[in-house]
Amino acid sequence: MKKRMIAAAMAVTVLAASLTGCQSSKPAETTAAATTAAATTAAETTKAPETTAAETTAAVKPYEGTTLNVMLAYGGADAAFDGFTEKTGIKVEYVEISTGKALAQLQAENGNTTADVWFGGGVDSYISAAKLGYLEQYVSPEADAINPAYRDSEGYWTGLALVPAGFLVNNDVLKEKNLEAPKTWEDLTDPKYKGEIIMASPAISGTQYAILNGTIQALGEEKGWEVWKGINDNVDFYAQGGGEPGPKCAAGEFGIAVLAMTGGTFAMEKEYPVTAIYPEDMIPWTPAPIGIFKSSQNKDAAKVFVDYFLSKEGQEALREADARVMARGDVAVPEAIGNVDTDKLINQDVTLFGSQREDLLAKWAELVGDKDSK
Amino acid sequence: MNRHTENRRNLRYARAEFADRLILALVLAGIALFILYPIVSVVATSFFKDGRFTLEYYRELATPKSLKLIKNSLWVSTLSSVFTTAAAFFIALAAFAESGKRRSFIRNGLLLTMISPPFVSALAYILLFGRRGIITHQILGLSVNPYGWHGIVILQVIGSVSFAALMLLNSFDNLDQRLILASRDLGATPAQTLFGVILPLVRPGLLSVLFMLFTMNLADFGTPIVIGGNYKVLATEAYTQVISTANLGRASAISVLMVPAAALAFYFYYRAMKMNEGNSGTGRAAMGDVSAYPLTGGVAVVTRAVTGLFFLVMALKYGNIFLSAFSNTAKGCLDFTLDYFGDLPRSQWSSFRHSLVYSAIAAAVASLLGILLSYYTHRRKIRGMRGAEFLASLPHIIPGTFYGLGYVAAFSHPPIYIRGTSVIIIANLIFRQLSLTCKSANAAFTGLNRKLEDAARDLGASRMDILGGIILPLLRQIFVTGFISIFTSCMTSVGAIIFLISPGKNVASAELFQSIENGRYGVASVQAVFIILVTVSINLVSMNLLKRSKRGGK
Repeated sequence: MKKRMIAAAMAVTVLAASLTGCQSSKPAETTAAATTAAATTAAETTKAPETTAAETTAAVKPYEGTTLNVMLAYGGADAAFDGFTEKTGIKVEYVEISTGKALAQLQAENGNTTADVWFGGGVDSYISAAKLGYLEQYVSPEADAINPAYRDSEGYWTGLALVPAGFLVNNDVLKEKNLEAPKTWEDLTDPKYKGEIIMASPAISGTQYAILNGTIQALGEEKGWEVWKGINDNVDFYAQGGGEPGPKCAAGEFGIAVLAMTGGTFAMEKEYPVTAIYPEDMIPWTPAPIGIFKSSQNKDAAKVFVDYFLSKEGQEALREADARVMARGDVAVPEAIGNVDTDKLINQDVTLFGSQREDLLAKWAELVGDKDSK
Repeated sequence: MNRHTENRRNLRYARAEFADRLILALVLAGIALFILYPIVSVVATSFFKDGRFTLEYYRELATPKSLKLIKNSLWVSTLSSVFTTAAAFFIALAAFAESGKRRSFIRNGLLLTMISPPFVSALAYILLFGRRGIITHQILGLSVNPYGWHGIVILQVIGSVSFAALMLLNSFDNLDQRLILASRDLGATPAQTLFGVILPLVRPGLLSVLFMLFTMNLADFGTPIVIGGNYKVLATEAYTQVISTANLGRASAISVLMVPAAALAFYFYYRAMKMNEGNSGTGRAAMGDVSAYPLTGGVAVVTRAVTGLFFLVMALKYGNIFLSAFSNTAKGCLDFTLDYFGDLPRSQWSSFRHSLVYSAIAAAVASLLGILLSYYTHRRKIRGMRGAEFLASLPHIIPGTFYGLGYVAAFSHPPIYIRGTSVIIIANLIFRQLSLTCKSANAAFTGLNRKLEDAARDLGASRMDILGGIILPLLRQIFVTGFISIFTSCMTSVGAIIFLISPGKNVASAELFQSIENGRYGVASVQAVFIILVTVSINLVSMNLLKRSKRGGK
């Protein structure tokens, strides 16, 4: 009887201590400095015709009152929108939707979307959308400061940031099973990790697709697929979205998660017995792009928006909102995403992400069989 | 009678006849426009590739893999529906057999637990019963794999049992209670009364609930996606095809595969409804608050055990959601926090406002339309209405995301361009839920004696008099419960809406879904708690209003 009571009491306490994932709160940004700097940069970025910033407020904020609709797939970025509105007078409304869903929606409405700007997400969807004619070509004057590898040569999209990928390990689970943390991609093929690895389906998650494509570009077809065959043997099933592996690993469902290394991933270290690890052999990455929709009725304001978030000021605001490696070389890597060795970033051709997608995923489907849907 | 009054009466009849036709035409037009047209628009994508007619997508589906998907879908849906119906039967029986406070406790418990934001129960399940689940791992020391068909079945049962029990309770209450009393007077044991009298009488109700659940479970993609692991069903396959390869054509073909099974279920549902007809007498309401069937013996044990288990599971589920909203489990210890409130999306409050307004409008309109549809189909038995009723149930049969894409495909261009407006969202909510009240109205009509209407007609009442003066007042309770359940599912469902929200027109359930997709479970729990609290308050207010209006009517 007593035992049962204790068990019940335990149940209640442990239940109370139910494990839940969460990311640390993002501090409010928009410093006063940003506003004071506004006058000068606004004149440049909006390309206001030869008027000095001091002349009229209308010249500084030529699109005041315009509302931009944004399709957002960049967790936390909305915190940086207020600063933009303050500076330009352009209001921003957004809806969060993963890029895969957004692309399906665009196809159903034949590109005739009510949104003006596409912000963040998987670059492969941008490449497909550009091919389908849904995107506007625009080379921002700020694009010069961005590595050409991070942007589309034809100007359909430009990288805002890089999303590197890596591992998250649950230290408790690994200790219990007497396993050490993996260090390289090849380590993941070790049969001792069987059933302990969770990752998203590359057909659904842009990050996971970038991991697959990037590692195969780096290792070569033959070796690359050999590694993935080995990893697949250790995976029970593939998650149906890039957001799933992290929390599942944090909850101890799996010992190892393969995922995007964002500020949120590292924030989990403070809350759970987990450690985020950059692979030692190579770090796959994908650009988080920005693009303007062809059907937009507010293209000029949309360009102001794109220019802002590619400018140093906008990039810093964005980095503040969600810690990532920003696309501009002159914006420092935030501490919140750990010690990323940028030399280990895979030297890859992002345009292949689009052209190889169908073949790669068909091969993937063959490899994994029933474990993944596509 | 002089000619003048007769003329006036004829004119009144003619007007009522016209109004009657107009209402019918509006109901039919609504169904054609907001159900048939979008579905046809999206199904068309499975027959056309690059503007040419093709069966390619269907040929691609002729593989053993598709066969397995069909088998999986049928297996899971069947198991879930059978278990849910069985559990719901005992819970409804408990509520039926009890009286006074206990009865209203169970009833209100059922109503409140219908509020279940999707994915959140899956989350609770993984946390409690997963590989490192609090109950399975930390208390029992097991390591169970929660993923697979058993996980889908458990969650589908938990998710729909409250709704099913409420539907069944309605059938129980509409039974002729005198038959039960007679059986007891003749010395039948509780089990004999249960199996010999009650069960045969509620069989049509049971069957209609069973088939309704079957179609709902067949179309459910949210549960299998979270907990199915590598166990795939048609609905998840259609969904992932859309979001992964943007292959609308193939996704649409997969959804079409689900229609025959759903149509069959609908046919059986319809037959069950027919069996029920003419079966009316002294309902529970006429008995006052006295149970005709007090629980005793073995029946009592089973009934109470199932009901107790139900409340335990619900307590675990909701307890977990609430705790997750306010606590952070830093490395295993409980840490109360309000952090997640600060992390709510910027648009949270406007989304909430939208959710409330859209859901309220949709619930009112859908409840009324559902009753009217049922009236024309089952009371007036107008030719061809059965087809309309089947169409109306299609949005429940095909996966929600797919229905949503149909709206995108149909309403993004003239003649009806309503993309990016609130209208498209509200219309979608209305027509997706329409069949819910239609079905409960169907059940109510079979228990409602025709004599009243016949008498009114003999006394010279027009069609409008009967509809407005008899039918609608009698079905007031159906309207209110319909309103509550539709409001609740509008507040919590996401499937179809994901593709229809646009910047500035977001809704709370879609934001919850996004938080879960981003892995922000703490924030998601806060959002779920808000949705639950708001929906509970609205439900309580409506229930009280209903109670008061009942008292006022007496």
